[in-house]
Amino acid sequence: MPTELPYAADAEVSLTYDELEVLRLQYQRELAQAHVTVQTKFNYAWGLVKSPMHEDQVEGVRLLQEIYRAEPTRRRECLYYLALGHYKMSNYEEAKRFNALLLEKEPANLQARSLLQLIDKAVTKEGYIGMVLAGGVAALGTLLVAGIIRRASR
Amino acid sequence: MPPTPSATQPINVKLLLIGNASVGKSSLLLRFSDEQWLPEDESSATIGVDFRVHKMDVKGKRVKLSIWDTAGQERFRTITSSYYRGAQGIILVYDVSNRETFDALPRWYSELETYVSSSVVKILVGNKLDKEFSRQVTSAEGQEFAERMDSLFVEASAKTAVGVKEVFTDVVEQILDTPELWDNAAKGRDTSSGNGGVPGGVQVVGLHADNTQSQDSGCAC
Ligand SMILES: Nc1nc2c(ncn2[C@@H]2O[C@H](COP(=O)(O)OP(=O)(O)O)[C@@H](O)[C@H]2O)c(=O)[nH]1
Ligand SMILES: [Mg+2]
Repeated sequence: MPTELPYAADAEVSLTYDELEVLRLQYQRELAQAHVTVQTKFNYAWGLVKSPMHEDQVEGVRLLQEIYRAEPTRRRECLYYLALGHYKMSNYEEAKRFNALLLEKEPANLQARSLLQLIDKAVTKEGYIGMVLAGGVAALGTLLVAGIIRRASR
Repeated sequence: MPPTPSATQPINVKLLLIGNASVGKSSLLLRFSDEQWLPEDESSATIGVDFRVHKMDVKGKRVKLSIWDTAGQERFRTITSSYYRGAQGIILVYDVSNRETFDALPRWYSELETYVSSSVVKILVGNKLDKEFSRQVTSAEGQEFAERMDSLFVEASAKTAVGVKEVFTDVVEQILDTPELWDNAAKGRDTSSGNGGVPGGVQVVGLHADNTQSQDSGCAC
């Protein structure tokens, strides 16, 4: 039986409060000592991106962006988690942009391909909702117009 | 009400693949779940963790496997450590043509002892069996070590598919033979009671390896 795709493991499960706290404390400890290692920063950023809280996700993406700029050896995972973070925040264009950068370097990367499908699915769904809303507005417009015409013809 | 899992819900089983980078964990999973093999130069190293669901029938029971494929690289160790929670089976992989990956096994065993209880089923897999000509670890050695570590043992090749199905069926069969791992009624659901793991599972690991690395890269001002 084939695997149920698409799936992004890290998009589904959040850390518990205690788990994220372990990573946060390590980060803050190093921050206080004015030397944050890339590893600590990356771990914390990953935990934040997995969080269901919007402000955590925003902070996670911000840290990942910094790591991306400073650490060429960590670019691939930064691209992946940047795409994932933006996907979770419903910034689908940003998500696609980062994911495309990763796919450009690794066209056969199954994780990136699966994430792309997830993003596309979300975009389609959003587009559909948009259409329903637009359709609703159009219908409302028709009703209003009908009302005006009815009133005018009286 | 008598429990009849085969007629109703499948039994959920969580498996975790661990072992050094490049031993073929992702390839084994792809071969097993999708019956696929990517050319050597096309496969890319796992980022953090990957996941697949696979349904199968074992011993007359419907089983829904969730298989978590971890990155072996040191810099993902903290990330992957959070995925041990709730695992009922651990698949430890080494490369029969690479001695170093076999010598690294005690470290992987000690990591897993930190996160999961001893009742969790372990299977040791010597992968890349197709590279017989450059073998560096004998079957006997692998077998002996597996016995010592209370683990099942299989040699396999993700490339030729030899042994791959056995890896997964062997581990699932043993899990089904250990009801405390999956049967709510048999209790002891929580397998995440290792020795000394941080509550929840995440542990800050691999800091040393990276301290040096980040110093090399210097300041980004
Ligand atoms: N010859 C051979 N190569 C393999 C086998 N399994 C994996 N590889 C190759 O080993 C490399 C690492 O494989 P991968 O599955 O990414 O390893 P992972 O890091 O443990 O997930 C890739 O180039 C694979 O094509 C195998 O059974 N035989
Ligand atoms: Mg892999």
